[in-house]
Amino acid sequence: MASTFVPIPARLEQVIVETPTIRTFVLRPQQPIPFRAGQFVQLEAPGVGEAPFTPSSSPKEPERLEITVLRTGFVTEALHRLQPGATVGVRGPFGKGYPVQHFQGQQVLVIGGGVGLAPLRSLLYHLFDDLGQVARVSILYGARTPQELCFRRQHADWQQLAKVDFTATIDRPAPGWDGPVGLVTELVAKTDVDIARACAVSCGPEVMLRFVTWKLLDLGFPPERIFLSMNRNMSCGMGLCGRCNIGPHYLCKDGPDMCYAEIKDIPYALG
Amino acid sequence: MRFVGGSGIGRLARRLARDYDVYAPREVAGALVLQRLADGDPPAWNDHRLAEPLKSLWLQPGKILAQWTPQGPQPGPRPRPRAVFGAKQCDLRALTILDRVLRDHEHKEPAWCDARERNLVVAGDCTGACDSCFCTMLGGQPWPQAEFDLCLGPVEGGYLVEAGSARGEQLAAELEDARPATAEQVAARDRRRQEVLQRVRAQNERWRTVDPTDKTVEKNLRTRIWGKLAATCVECNACNLACPTCHCFLLFARQTPAGAVRVSLWDSCFHAGYARMAGGGTPRLQLTERFKNHYYHKFVSFPRNWGVTACSGCGRCVDACMGRIDKRQCLHRLETEWMPSEVLEEIV
Repeated sequence: MASTFVPIPARLEQVIVETPTIRTFVLRPQQPIPFRAGQFVQLEAPGVGEAPFTPSSSPKEPERLEITVLRTGFVTEALHRLQPGATVGVRGPFGKGYPVQHFQGQQVLVIGGGVGLAPLRSLLYHLFDDLGQVARVSILYGARTPQELCFRRQHADWQQLAKVDFTATIDRPAPGWDGPVGLVTELVAKTDVDIARACAVSCGPEVMLRFVTWKLLDLGFPPERIFLSMNRNMSCGMGLCGRCNIGPHYLCKDGPDMCYAEIKDIPYALG
Repeated sequence: MRFVGGSGIGRLARRLARDYDVYAPREVAGALVLQRLADGDPPAWNDHRLAEPLKSLWLQPGKILAQWTPQGPQPGPRPRPRAVFGAKQCDLRALTILDRVLRDHEHKEPAWCDARERNLVVAGDCTGACDSCFCTMLGGQPWPQAEFDLCLGPVEGGYLVEAGSARGEQLAAELEDARPATAEQVAARDRRRQEVLQRVRAQNERWRTVDPTDKTVEKNLRTRIWGKLAATCVECNACNLACPTCHCFLLFARQTPAGAVRVSLWDSCFHAGYARMAGGGTPRLQLTERFKNHYYHKFVSFPRNWGVTACSGCGRCVDACMGRIDKRQCLHRLETEWMPSEVLEEIV
C-alpha cells in the first residue's frame, strides 16, 4: 500500500468559476480515489502546501473528483491561480463521512452556508441517486449576496426532483433577487419537516453552525439527530499530528462531520 | 543477569558502534543531554533522566516521512540505527505511550515505526532523582521494567546487566569479562532501587491526590481555576518540547533534487496559531483554553482514546517552565481547590 503521506497526482481538467471567490476544480487522479460522501482529501498545490477539502462531486465517480474551493488563504489562492492541465496532489480520503445510515427513511434537512454547500453537494448526489432511501430532502441554503450563491445553475434542477425542496436566502435585499432575505437560521425556523422523523445536516462557517444548532434545538431536534461539518485545522488526516481535536475527538478521523450529541458537552466546541 | 566491571560499558559502547550511531549522556551548560559518543569514549553514567527526551532521536525534527517523484513513491533516506545509553524508566514508558498513537494504530508514522524497530536502548536504573521527578505519582518506579534491550544497574565495582530483548541477550552473552551476578549483588541493587523509590515518593508526598488524574482534570473543565494555574505561563512551549510524550507535528512538503519530500517538525499546542485555519479562525484563542487543553489531552482524552495517561512523570515540563508552573502542583490544586459552585454555564 502506498504511504498515506504521498499524494496521488491528479490532472486539473477544468476550472468552473462558481462565484467571484469560489471555483470548482475538476480533477482526474492517476488512480481512482473511492470516497464516501463527507470524507475529505488533502489537496496539494505543488510547492505551496496542502489543505483539507471534501469533494463536492458524487461518490459514484471516484475517477473524477470535483473539489470546490473558496479563496481564503495561501493554499487556496495558489489553487485559484491554476489553469487546466496543471498537476495537483491528492491524499486521502480521510475521515468517516456523513452518517448516511441514520438517514434511512428520514426527512433530511440539509442546511448550508456559503461554500459549505460544497461538501453537502456530495451528500445530495448520494441521496439523489436513490431517493427511495429517504422520506424527503429539504435543502436550506444561505449566502451573503446572490452572486455568492454556489452551484446556482443547479438549484432549479434540484427543485424539480420529487421529494426534494430547495430554498435559498441572501443576507440583505439585492436588485433582481425576489427570494427570501435573511440568515439561513430564519429558514430553519420556518422549516416544515416532521421533526419527529427528521435528521439535520449542516455545513458552513462556525458561527452559522452555532446558531443553526441553537435553532434546531429550539425546534425540538434531539442532539443525536443533528450532524455538523466541523471546522478545524486538519493536517495529517490520520489522527497523528494532533491539531484538529475537539475534546477527545480527532476531526480528521472521527469526523469531519460530528453528531452534536458527541460534542455538545465539550467547552467551546462551537466557538 | 550478568555482572560486568566498570570498563565493560566502554567496551559495550565500542561494540555497538560497529552497527549503530551511539548516543550517550553528556553535560552541556549544566544540563544532561544526549550527544553522539566519540569513538572510544566510554558513556557517562546519569543518575537520573536527562534534560532531553528520547523523542529527540526517535522523532527527530525535520525528518522525512515520505518521498516521491512523478513516477510514484520512492524509498526515503533510512538513517543508521541508533543505540542510546542513559534511558530511564520514564523515557521507556514514554516510548510505549507514543507507540499507541504512532505505531499500534491503523495509520502508522513510518519513521517512528522504523526507529522503534531498529534503535537499541541501553537503559539504566535511577541512582538518584531530580527534584521534579514524579514517576511514582503515575504508578511508575525509578527503574526500567520493559522496553529496553539492556538495562544497567550500578553495583559495587561495576554493573548488573539485564537483557530485555533477543538483541540484548546476544549482546549480554558477548560481553567480555562478564560473569553471572551473585544474589548479594542483586540484593544490593534492589535495596538501592527501593531507596530511590522512597526518595521520589517522599518528595511528592505534598502533591498527593486522592482522585485519579483524569477525574481531577475532567471535573474542572468548566471552572475558572485554569486562569489561575496559567497565570505565569508565557506560551514559550518549553513544556511541550521537553515532554517525552508530546508528539504533535507540523507537516509540509518540499522539493529536493531527488523529488518531493514530506517533512515533519515538532509543533506545540500552546501556540496561539497552532490550530489556526485558513481565513483566520482559531479554536482555543485564549491561553487558558490552550493550557486546559494540554491537561485535558494528557490526562483525559489520551487515556480515553488510547488507554494510557500521556504523562510519564519525568518532570521535564517542571524544569523547563520559566513561569515555574509545576504539573504536580497544578494537579493537586485542581483537586483541592475544586468548587462545584464555581462551575460555569457554558455558552453552547
